[in-house]
Order: sequence, then C-alpha cells, then structure tokens
Amino acid sequence: MNQERTQQTGCSTDQGTLPSCAPLAVPYVPFQQTGAAKYSAQEALAQGTLFPGLDLPFHLMVDGAEVPKTPLTELQALCFVVTELGLYLDTHKNDQEAFRLFQKYVAMEQTARASYEEQYGPLQQTGAAATECYSWLCEPWPWNGQQEA
Amino acid sequence: MFIYDKKLEYPVKIRNSNPRLASIIISQYGGPDGEMSASLRYLSQRYAMPYPELEGLLTDIGTEELAHLEIIASIVHQLTRNLTDEQVEQSPFATYFVDHTAGIYPTTASGFPWSAAFIGVKGDVICDLTEDMAADAASM
Repeated sequence: MNQERTQQTGCSTDQGTLPSCAPLAVPYVPFQQTGAAKYSAQEALAQGTLFPGLDLPFHLMVDGAEVPKTPLTELQALCFVVTELGLYLDTHKNDQEAFRLFQKYVAMEQTARASYEEQYGPLQQTGAAATECYSWLCEPWPWNGQQEA
Repeated sequence: MFIYDKKLEYPVKIRNSNPRLASIIISQYGGPDGEMSASLRYLSQRYAMPYPELEGLLTDIGTEELAHLEIIASIVHQLTRNLTDEQVEQSPFATYFVDHTAGIYPTTASGFPWSAAFIGVKGDVICDLTEDMAADAASM
C-alpha cells in the first residue's frame, strides 16, 4: 500500500476522495487522485492494471506463469500502459504529469510497433500495403498461440 | 469505427486440450458477466452519455472489452482444438460440442445463449454508470 499522503487531501495515493457534501441516495465511488503509484510496463501487463492501488487480486488466485519476454510481449506491455493511461486521462484530462507519461509511452509504443512490423509483418490491414504482397493473411493469426515473436 | 490490431492484448499459449475447463470458461465469453456483455454494455451506453469524459471512457472501456472477448475466445479455442471423440464425450463439453464443435459460440456455461437481457442500457447517466460498477464487480 502506498503510504505517501498528498498534502491536499491527506489520503494516501492508493486511495481516492469522496465529496464532503453530496446529494442523498446517489452512490459515489472514491475518485482516483493524481500522482498515484504506477507499475512498470511488464508488471502492469502481468498484474492487469497500471496502478497498484487498483490491483485487487482474486481471493483464490494462483500465481500465474510469468510472461516471457519477447518482442511481441514487450509491445503488448507498452500498448497496455497506453491503454491504461488513456482510460485514466479520460477522467483526469488535466493531469499534466499523466499526459506527459502518455506521450512518452505512445512514442515508445510506436517505435516498438514499427520495429515489430518490420520483422513480423503488418499488425493492421493497411500495413500490408507496405509489403511486397497482401501479407495481411499471413499466419499466424493471434488466437492460435503461435505468435512466437 | 473499429480497427483491428492483429495481436492479443495479453498472450495466450495453451498446449494441452481441456474440454472440461472450456465448458466453464465459455461463460466468460457469452455469459451474463462475460466479455460480450461488458463490450456491448459500454459500447451501447456511450451514446446517451452527457459528458465527453464519459463518451470517451465508455468507448475506450468497451473497446478494451472486445479485446478481452478475443482473449477468452482464444483460450477456449486452444483448449478445444484437436480433441478425440472420447475426450469430447467424457466431458461436460459434449453438449456444447454437438451444436458448435470447435467453433466459439456466445453462450453461458449452462448452455443458455448470450442475451441482451444480460445488460442494461437506461440512457440515464447514474443508472448506467451504477450498472457498470455492479457488472464489473460481478465479473470479478
């Protein structure tokens, strides 16, 4: 549990805030504060969330196998952080620190994607235009468990 | 609109068939608290949302739930490819198999087809967001 408390609210950054006065009979959810602790890209992908504060493992959860490090899983980890930061920014659009992190990860993801596609083929249909033939159909498709990468 | 990225959001690599497990996991695909319900719930609720934060949020969550739908389908696919007759007959997967073989069909584990009755779309921001929280809690 992240024990850092923000001066503004006195809550640790793994906690959220509730309004001091609110209309009756309407449910509220603690609102995630800025500056929350974050996992690395690989940890985030393995845990299923970017934020330790939102990491609530199943009661009977068995330790999963570690995600092996391959060009594809590296890209998946970067994409996951971008997705998570995007969701966070959807409700915290003025969080400049988070936005800068988003910009940084999008840039890393774009580089990793370009490098992956150069070696393994297009990840989107239009990417087939950059190859010699209609490579969109090339195996493997993602659900076969053969994207060794 | 939607663009398809030819990769899973999280890797799935299953070597061993397990139709019994598949007959349970299929509920995470087409069950009331599964990913089909999640994707369609968010993607349907977003239209009536009164703020861009919510239009964006529900669009983005719904999109990610489609990615989860694909992951679950990949799991069931890898658990049920290359089955022998005996493996099928001796598992609870037999009743799914008779109608769908190795296809991925949106159904509950009990065999009830996915239904829009599993989701709520009231067009009211508080109702819909409350339903989302309840549904996500249920899916855990």
